[in-house]
Amino acid sequence: MEVPDPSTSKTPYGFLTVGVILLAIGTYIGLAVAPAETYMGDVQRIMYVHVPSAWSGLLAITFAFGCAVAFLFRSDFRWDARMEASIEVGVLLAFLLCMQGAIWAKPTWGVWWDWDPRLTTTAVLFFAFLGILALRRFVDDPVKRGIWSAVATIIAYVDVPIVYFSVRWWNSLHQTQSSPNTVSSQFYAPLRLNAFGVLFLMIGFIMLRSRIATYRLQHELAAPPVLTGEEAGELA
Amino acid sequence: MLTAALRKELLIQWRTRSQLMAVFVFGATSLLLFSFGIGPNAQALRTFSAGFLWLALLLSSTLTLAESFHAEMENRALEGLLLLPANPRALYYGKTIANWLQLTILGVALVPVMVVLYDAGTTELLKLLAIIMLGAAGLAAPGTLYAAMTSQVRAKQTLLPLLLFPLIVPALLASVKATSLVILGDPMQQVKSWIGLLGAFDLIYWSLCGLLYGRVIEE
Amino acid sequence: MTPEGVVTGGWPFVWAAYGLTFAAFIIYGVTLITKLREERARAAEDGNRT
Repeated sequence: MEVPDPSTSKTPYGFLTVGVILLAIGTYIGLAVAPAETYMGDVQRIMYVHVPSAWSGLLAITFAFGCAVAFLFRSDFRWDARMEASIEVGVLLAFLLCMQGAIWAKPTWGVWWDWDPRLTTTAVLFFAFLGILALRRFVDDPVKRGIWSAVATIIAYVDVPIVYFSVRWWNSLHQTQSSPNTVSSQFYAPLRLNAFGVLFLMIGFIMLRSRIATYRLQHELAAPPVLTGEEAGELA
Repeated sequence: MLTAALRKELLIQWRTRSQLMAVFVFGATSLLLFSFGIGPNAQALRTFSAGFLWLALLLSSTLTLAESFHAEMENRALEGLLLLPANPRALYYGKTIANWLQLTILGVALVPVMVVLYDAGTTELLKLLAIIMLGAAGLAAPGTLYAAMTSQVRAKQTLLPLLLFPLIVPALLASVKATSLVILGDPMQQVKSWIGLLGAFDLIYWSLCGLLYGRVIEE
Repeated sequence: MTPEGVVTGGWPFVWAAYGLTFAAFIIYGVTLITKLREERARAAEDGNRT
């Protein structure tokens, strides 16, 4: 099978640059300009980076799901490369979400983990997709690796809403407090700026990581080098 | 085709039933160890008995599920199966049903151990059986699919739980909640809803995994 | 939470959350760019040999 050369365009670097700029502006506004929230105080400013990360994280694994389906139908390894990239970025974002959520929860609820359904689902998601990355690591045959991790991605993605509803239900029977993870203040500018900032970073990351995956695939699938002259003579 | 596959699986399971016995001992030992983890606190043990039961069953499932592909790995029987005009879906459901049966038997066998160790008895045995069957089904469907994958790779013993455990969280939650309500009492009639969730999970994964199995075992 | 319902003194947490997030992004980004250069160099080498 043939894997076409990855693109060498500068587009991902464009996305990364714009992403960084947007995040810088959004963070500045969120931390220095926006007023502290009435009840949550300054801790609520974490939401200006937490909510954007959540949106991009969900987008990343949804894209991974799309790539998985595309790969199973088309057997085009470019989709496998993109899937690997988006799973990795999704795992990174899921990890950050759990950390941000814990850092937010400690001053707010007094505990590092309050079993908020969204965060708990994110934690499950993190382990599920980390497992898929581990699976890829242990399968040497690229075709099997692609098919199996695509299947696992589909199965894991379908599970996400189910996990969310079951945890929400499970949690509601014990806790009466709701977790105000949404931004309740009227200041949406930092949220919007950071949302696009993280989104563009995510896109840039996925594009770069896909290229890396494609080069690695090419290297794996490449024919052994043709020996010339002296080298061939030594083996004869 | 399905009945032939199922018969083969059940036959193999019958022939290796001593292994199931060993897994039962593993499960029972786990239940014992959990109680050491908590301490001789009868109240706490009883409260969490459902959780322990299902955790023990989950851990045991990694053993039985992996074992169910042992025959295929020996003598490369899987390739032989694929050479036959066999429908992969039939192969999948044959194996999954057999695994489901095995896990149900395990679950039922562990109940008396739970009753004794945690003073966690119930008179609603039929309901308990239904929950065990539905929960086992939730483990069996994705478990069989993942066991098929991981049986062919290195580090198979680690990969199967690594993949399976996050996935079955809803089934685990629902099974534990439902079992807990049956043991401790259900004043608000919530068991039906949890059984509903279990049923939905089982329906989704028995279909989805059956659909995808063919791609997993193709050469 | 204090009785009035106001969470005070949250700035260290804010720095921690933002710092962790941005550090992760920067490290990941730099790692990606480095790895991409490595892979491209290796691909060129493979190309020369075959």
